[in-house]
Amino acid sequence: MATWSAQTIQDIADSVGIQQLSPAITKDLSQDVDFRYRQIIGESIKFMRHGKRNTLTTQDISHALRVLDVEPMYGYETTRPVKYGAASLGPGQPVYYLEEEEVDFEKLINAPLPKVPREVSFTAHWMAIEGVQPAIPQNPTQADAGVRDSATKGATTANSISASAGNQERPSVKPLVKHILSKELQLYFEKVTNSLLDPSNDNLRQAALTSLRNDSGLHQLLPYFVQFVSEKVTHNLKNLFVLEQVLEVIHSLLENPDLFIEPYVASLIPPILTCLVGKRLGSSNDNDGTALPGHFSLRDKAAAILNLVTAKFADSSHTLKPRLMRTCLRNFLSNDAPVGTHYGALLALAAIGGKEAVRVLIMPNLKSFEQNVLDGKSEEGGEKAAEVKACYEAVGKVVRILSEEKVKNEDEMEEEVSDADRTELENFVGPGCAQEIQRVGGVQLVRKVLEVKNGK
Amino acid sequence: MSGYAPAQKPAGGENPVSGAQLNQIVIEYLNKKGYSRTEAMLRLESTSLDAEGRPIKSRLEDDPETMYEKAYSLLKDWVDNSMNIYQPQLRKLLFPIFVYSYIDLVKGAYVDGAKNFFELHSQEHMSIHGHDIQALQSVTLPAHIEENELCQTFLKKGNKYRINLTKAAKDLLLFWIEDNEAIGGSVINKVVNEHVTLNVIQGKSTNIEITDVGDNEGIIGHISGSSDLAISNTVRLKLGALPMDKEYIAEIEDELRAEDMKQRDDTRMEDLGVTTQPSLLDEFQQRIKREESESEDAPMRDDVPLPPYTGLDIAREVQMVKDNRAKFKLEGVPTPALPSIAMYTFHHTHNGLNTVEFSRDGRYVAGGFAESYVRIWDLTGKPLISAIAQENTHAASSRRLIGHSGPVYSCSFSPDSRSLLTASEDKSVRLWSLETYTNLVVYKGHNAPVWDVAFGPYGHYFATASYDGTARLWSVEQIYPLRSFVGHQSDVDCVTFHPNSAYVFTGSSDKTARMWDIQRGASVRLFTGHTAPITAIAASPDGKYLATAAEDHTILLWDLAAGKRIKTMRGHGKTSIWSLAFSQESSILVSGGADLSVRVWNVKGGSGNPIVTEGEGAQANGGDGGSKLGDSGTVNSVGARSRKGGEKVVATPDHLAVYYTKRTPIYKVHFTPRNLVMAAGAFLP
Repeated sequence: MATWSAQTIQDIADSVGIQQLSPAITKDLSQDVDFRYRQIIGESIKFMRHGKRNTLTTQDISHALRVLDVEPMYGYETTRPVKYGAASLGPGQPVYYLEEEEVDFEKLINAPLPKVPREVSFTAHWMAIEGVQPAIPQNPTQADAGVRDSATKGATTANSISASAGNQERPSVKPLVKHILSKELQLYFEKVTNSLLDPSNDNLRQAALTSLRNDSGLHQLLPYFVQFVSEKVTHNLKNLFVLEQVLEVIHSLLENPDLFIEPYVASLIPPILTCLVGKRLGSSNDNDGTALPGHFSLRDKAAAILNLVTAKFADSSHTLKPRLMRTCLRNFLSNDAPVGTHYGALLALAAIGGKEAVRVLIMPNLKSFEQNVLDGKSEEGGEKAAEVKACYEAVGKVVRILSEEKVKNEDEMEEEVSDADRTELENFVGPGCAQEIQRVGGVQLVRKVLEVKNGK
Repeated sequence: MSGYAPAQKPAGGENPVSGAQLNQIVIEYLNKKGYSRTEAMLRLESTSLDAEGRPIKSRLEDDPETMYEKAYSLLKDWVDNSMNIYQPQLRKLLFPIFVYSYIDLVKGAYVDGAKNFFELHSQEHMSIHGHDIQALQSVTLPAHIEENELCQTFLKKGNKYRINLTKAAKDLLLFWIEDNEAIGGSVINKVVNEHVTLNVIQGKSTNIEITDVGDNEGIIGHISGSSDLAISNTVRLKLGALPMDKEYIAEIEDELRAEDMKQRDDTRMEDLGVTTQPSLLDEFQQRIKREESESEDAPMRDDVPLPPYTGLDIAREVQMVKDNRAKFKLEGVPTPALPSIAMYTFHHTHNGLNTVEFSRDGRYVAGGFAESYVRIWDLTGKPLISAIAQENTHAASSRRLIGHSGPVYSCSFSPDSRSLLTASEDKSVRLWSLETYTNLVVYKGHNAPVWDVAFGPYGHYFATASYDGTARLWSVEQIYPLRSFVGHQSDVDCVTFHPNSAYVFTGSSDKTARMWDIQRGASVRLFTGHTAPITAIAASPDGKYLATAAEDHTILLWDLAAGKRIKTMRGHGKTSIWSLAFSQESSILVSGGADLSVRVWNVKGGSGNPIVTEGEGAQANGGDGGSKLGDSGTVNSVGARSRKGGEKVVATPDHLAVYYTKRTPIYKVHFTPRNLVMAAGAFLP
């Protein structure tokens, strides 16, 4: 029990010059020293506990000494746990010493300053969503948890989604949360979805959308609406009306301040992208053959919604924006896709990425876009011509982002675009686009575009 | 010792055993026949005989160095071999006898005897009383007894160790003492007589709930002793919510009415002819409004004087009504729905992060560091703009508050999230403004490190807990404490307010929790039952329950009105539990700790007894109807005990779910007004 033997006390006494110590005194002293240092450690542990640590540090002991009115020990400040080495003086006579690094003074002075330590920061993730632990990298896998779980029997580990889906060892996995939808909610869902898809009653449809936009008690229905959205998109690619309504639903859900939509964003993106860059949207017979096909306005809407989504959730999901940009760029650059797809991708790129995307991703590719996709199609007349026209308009709109408010300044004297500039522009973006750029932005925009070109 | 007079027992005759029996028979005979004077004479003569000293008996007591050990071993053997229905009750007797015997040995300066005794018998108490055994271990000299908190608690005048026994078990014990008086019973008798109170409880032995330390058991740790305790836990409490000012209510209602109108215009619900949700005004009137008149069990407004309300208070109240309506409901019978948990992991802390605190609205998070500073973050990532213009040159979403000169152990946001309190090792508490990010006030009063600080639910007041064994109540306006709550025997480790602001709860290293009346500054409830220092404490929003977590890895739920334990919740690993939080409906308790887990507990259902089923099959279907709330948990759990002492922790049936992190101990769990759980911890690299 006593860690300090009487012999140790005797040795210490010798070292400070006290020769004669009676055995009774050394024994008493050894016990008292034992008591004192247990007391100090007991107090230090309080400081450790309040520091929420499992390792006792030298600072804890300093603090303990301070509250016990003892002069603290100086010179032992360290942020790391103290390590001791053992050396042997002879058989069974280990000597313990503090392991210290030998430092070359010269080197220390001449060494560059150490790096500034990183600032304390935090990251956030979902540990559980309504009782279910999502299978994301931040959460431990089932296997990790299983190891720990064996130490705590009877505790029900929340099954992560993926694990519970394919887990054969436990055949009777019951979902932890029993989703019980009230009768009212079920009725509501049915009523809303029916009225949304009813083209005849415009009033009711608007009311349903308003309800989605403003009602606070819909959270339980959110997964069902998400499901509804993706299902309708998959099955109704030919029906523009349905697609448009679906986008309206997404829009309403996004705008509802009481819905917590973040976990579902990943499931909402595919339907939006489908509406944006889908190859065949709507049926060909709902067009008279000359005007712009209806799906172009659908793509406009999808681009706007995508913009809304990224604006809202880009902060919480860092990979969201790059992922979307990549998808759009791929579609924009592909040669075999129909014009509509290019149109949608172009709009979305500009909407998501803003000025920077236009400068870096769109401008350099405009020429090839014009050559590969647009050229030669306007001659086909009718619908195609309208499509190409829409694309040029889109290009104009997109490029205008570059110079934002300045373009609007109509008081400024209109200058003629010089021939040299025009040629340069045509070389850069292709003749069709050059013409459009001049039309929408005049000389300022042309200059801006050339700046971009020369900046590269 | 109550209800027990040491039996007079003749010990004559050549053969002690047969002699004892013979005397017994004779006394019984005399008794039956009514020869009372003869009987008295016989007793008198046998005692005088006894006083002459029988060799065996005197030999044992002549050598105090070994007598405790011998007597204790004898008692232990007997307990181990007693019938299994009495064994758990009798076993509880061993610990106090061990402690008192050891203290007596040390007091008598029998160093070797004490050492030997301790080494032989300390192990068997490690599992339940490990903390006490460690504290006792250092006591080896008589002088140490004076300095050791534990010994002082055990020896304090009037402090007796209380044990609940059934009548049968108590009789068994008394008979055993009598029978073995000569060979050690007298030693046990002396210890029991001086230091232990045996309470007879009703009921059959098989039905008694066997816990480590039952209700009203153990050392009291109370200055005035047990009798006072009995009274103190029956003081009538006013647990209702604090009533609102009449004008205040009127203003809030006006505000809500306007809000309702606005909403109605926005949604145009009339088009459909349905209203899907109750108006804010209804919500307020049904759920939240509290008028002075209807509050029989609620404190009066004068009990908790608060500064006059402002427009900000009304805005906050309106927001509360909205939150209350929009919250994710965590109700349901038997098992409530489970909450969503957002986990915030702190990186690069280098073990320096001592505490994390979320603001009530979940907008800010503050961390107290060992390097004496406090850092505050905006969780939305917006820059923290100071009201002082020149401070904003590098406005980022995080700011450092520098001022303390020792590790910061606790932070607390005011309910309006406009100020922050921090408590530090430097013995001071500081108030920081979250508009200018500067230090406004330093509160000095404690004479030792301050472990915890908590703002009251209405702001204005706050409470601190300190190493010096006191908790104090302050108002933000004064630099001196308004009340000192003295009574804990050791450090006060954690503190929290009752939701009506009229009471304060403290948890201490003396293993007890207390409830204090802020008006009278007196302790009105004492909660004993933990066997290790208390690390976390939380009061339920409905004002009826208290949850405490301790280093014994259990969470206890208490009924405030009755002052009784409702149940014990087990399931956390053998590490500390750092934080507790109740959901807004008080239906769910969430705990987080060093075992890298956040656990969800069912407050209203499920008994507190371990699951007896084997293996993984233990289901978390709490609320099995086996126990009703408030019946102090007298539920049969025989058999569960067999698992005790093993490495495995058996979760109690009210354990609903557990969520692990990869390598992050949970420092803090917090429920937002809309029932989202926010958890935080520092990543262990």
